[in-house]
Amino acid sequence: MIGDPVLRLSEVGKGFHGTTVLDGVSLDVPQGQFVALVGPSGAGKSTLLRLVNGMHLPDSGTVRTLGENPAACSRSRLRALRARVGFVFQQFGLVGRLSALENVLMGSLATLRLPRYGVMSYPRALRIRAVEHLDRVGLADRRFQRCDTLSGGQQQRVAVARTLLQSPELILADEPVASLDPAASMVVLEILKRISAEDGISVVCSLHQVELALATADRVVALRGGRLVLDEPAAGLAAERLREVYETARAGSAQAGAGDAQRDGRVGARDG
Amino acid sequence: MLSAMAGWGPAMVSTTPATRAPATADPGPLRPPWSARALIAAGLLVAAVAVTWLTFWWIGLSPASLAAGLDDTARLLRRMWPPDLPRAGDVAWMIVETLLIAVAGTGLAALASVPLAFVAARTHKGPRRLRPPARAVIVLTRAVPTLAFAILFVRIFGLGPLAGALAVAVHSVGMIAKLLTDAVEEADPVPAEAARACGAGEVQVAVSSVLPRVFPALAGIVLYRLDINIRASAVLGVVGAGGIGVALQTALGSLNYHRAAGIICVIVVLVLLLELLSVTVRRTVLRPTVRRRTASRTSRRDLVGRDTGAAGRTAGDTTGTAALPGGRAPHDVGWDRGRVLRVAGAIATGVVFLVSLWSLDPDPGRLSGAWPNLRAVLTGMWPPAFSGDLLMAVLESLLMALGAAAVGAACGLVLALLTAVNTTPWRPLSAMVRVLLVVVRGIPDLVYALLFVAALGLGPYAGFLALWISSTALAAKFFADSLEQLDPLPHEALTSVGARRWQAFAAGIWPQFVPSFTGNGLFVADLALRESVVLGIAGAGGVGYLMQESIATLRYDTTAAIVIAIAVVVYAIETLARIARRHLL
Repeated sequence: MIGDPVLRLSEVGKGFHGTTVLDGVSLDVPQGQFVALVGPSGAGKSTLLRLVNGMHLPDSGTVRTLGENPAACSRSRLRALRARVGFVFQQFGLVGRLSALENVLMGSLATLRLPRYGVMSYPRALRIRAVEHLDRVGLADRRFQRCDTLSGGQQQRVAVARTLLQSPELILADEPVASLDPAASMVVLEILKRISAEDGISVVCSLHQVELALATADRVVALRGGRLVLDEPAAGLAAERLREVYETARAGSAQAGAGDAQRDGRVGARDG
Repeated sequence: MLSAMAGWGPAMVSTTPATRAPATADPGPLRPPWSARALIAAGLLVAAVAVTWLTFWWIGLSPASLAAGLDDTARLLRRMWPPDLPRAGDVAWMIVETLLIAVAGTGLAALASVPLAFVAARTHKGPRRLRPPARAVIVLTRAVPTLAFAILFVRIFGLGPLAGALAVAVHSVGMIAKLLTDAVEEADPVPAEAARACGAGEVQVAVSSVLPRVFPALAGIVLYRLDINIRASAVLGVVGAGGIGVALQTALGSLNYHRAAGIICVIVVLVLLLELLSVTVRRTVLRPTVRRRTASRTSRRDLVGRDTGAAGRTAGDTTGTAALPGGRAPHDVGWDRGRVLRVAGAIATGVVFLVSLWSLDPDPGRLSGAWPNLRAVLTGMWPPAFSGDLLMAVLESLLMALGAAAVGAACGLVLALLTAVNTTPWRPLSAMVRVLLVVVRGIPDLVYALLFVAALGLGPYAGFLALWISSTALAAKFFADSLEQLDPLPHEALTSVGARRWQAFAAGIWPQFVPSFTGNGLFVADLALRESVVLGIAGAGGVGYLMQESIATLRYDTTAAIVIAIAVVVYAIETLARIARRHLL
């Protein structure tokens, strides 16, 4: 695996209900790189991320994640693959009624056999590790607080800690800061950046804020209307060029309905 | 991993508390502190298990008796086959009478509920002392089941649909008025303030400012109650209060099981058609709720503000264009399609209601004849005569209900997990269970009770089985509905973590589901309790039998005691459920 990219998409296409969402996208991500994925709503960012961990399967082209092809995996292989890939959601995906610690502990479920309910149903060693990860995101003192009483930024940090408990080799973040205020956004991105740099974990993070993308990422990839339109190192990239991606999208509103189709598709795909 | 983390400690910036222990040191507490929530949940679970065990002991339920019971039931079903349907004309008339009872009862209840709800609402600004009695009427009429009122009214008004319709009406008042009270209390107080500021009296404020705003809620509540009442009317005949139940009671009484099976089939088909109709209506009418509600509100506000000259706006106009359409006089209310349809609908509803009243045959001679009976009943009720037997019977009803609800909730949970789209292991299975549940729910509890009494003999055993079946079906529906409303994101997140199906359920869905599981479970217990009270009428144990007997033997003081005991128990359970729900959410 050494030298191989952590993630390789080749000519990937994906559509929902007849609407093309991704169209011939190719992308290689080497180990340890922080990739910012930018582009207007409906450009296919979420779909791309979901193709990587097999929550969606491509219509055409191939996806290789950590050397595996999600489309060819059996259910248990896919589960094992997902355990190695962290996923951070825009809306956190936390169970609001449970404590921060229990939500973090859920990140270890793939290594456990039986269903778990309650902090005490997890092994002590895992609880210690979970607290350490909560500490790493600065929330160790909030471990027994209900997640729905935490602020948005704190909730996202709990979600990041949950991902860390997976010991991921790749982290996918689907607009992790889109529902956060600027200060909280900075904190969450800084944590992701730090994890990437210090643990050598690749991060693919979709973002809307051009400035944040340029400040955090090693490399910026832009999607528009399901196509890859820009792929350059962040250093030296002019913010103007990234804004153009959004500007042209506004001019031609062909993607207006694509965002909805994508969302519908996600629901359908989960049911299936 | 650990070494990487150790390097993290001091490097962490703004997110880290100033004093941080290194990763190898004491991680702090790993055991969550005890919470009241966990204690209540554990308490409820222990209580449910204990009550179930006590119920099994009381009714003598064992694997052997259960097997024997199934055997007897199968034998009865064989004797009922093939069903013998009455003549089509008879069937049609029985169905129409059943529907008319429900319409008349619901209509009367709606008319009575409006003033009651306004007086009972916290926002009521009129005479203060009217409020407690209004609240008491709402609680009492809700606590005493329709069939209990039916027995009483058959005694007062004689056999027939009049007693049935009044029973339906009185019991419905409780629910309609309670829900309407909530709607009134939630309505924005500012328009009422404005009307008061214009010098309007309290009745005027209620009629012209509050009523239009709660009208959509009222219509929804009344339609929902009508649905329930049609089901209830189907079995009122068992105590002689008219409708299709009379034929069922006659058939069972004369041991004509083929005919009884035929009538049960008719009831089931009627209820299923109703279910289908209400689902269709809900799909077509309620989906664009927001727009329609705004539309009707706009138009009614226009009616109220007619003299200000704002009446020209068309009813379907939700865009807020205030301009008058060309060629319309300022006083023209605007007879467009929407208004014509609404007025026609209102007139049709009124006509149907009047026809239903007329069909009850309320001639003055009969009503005045009822007067002495009513006086005898009311004077005979004082003082209420409590006795040990009575309390034991109430306890038996309570045990039957709680035991059946506990077992039913457990079975219902399994069925719900099979049905809900986000938990079902296999889609076609979900559809099959769904259809089965609709059919099982379609048959009234009393019919189950009558069948089990015919198969297994008198006693609480038959009542428990009947309640168990209905509680299971009801719980399964409630649970499946609320499972489908849960936030899907945690489940998705856990899937992306690599969790197994059961792990993702236990960690991502179950914790979210606990409050609605508890709430709906308690609600099922509440409903089962009300039902258990009346099952005794069929001889299926509990206090219902005593109640029927006390009325038949003119011991109204006992009747009063039973009614009071039922009301107290139902109210107590309801209060407990409310407290538990509040602390668990």
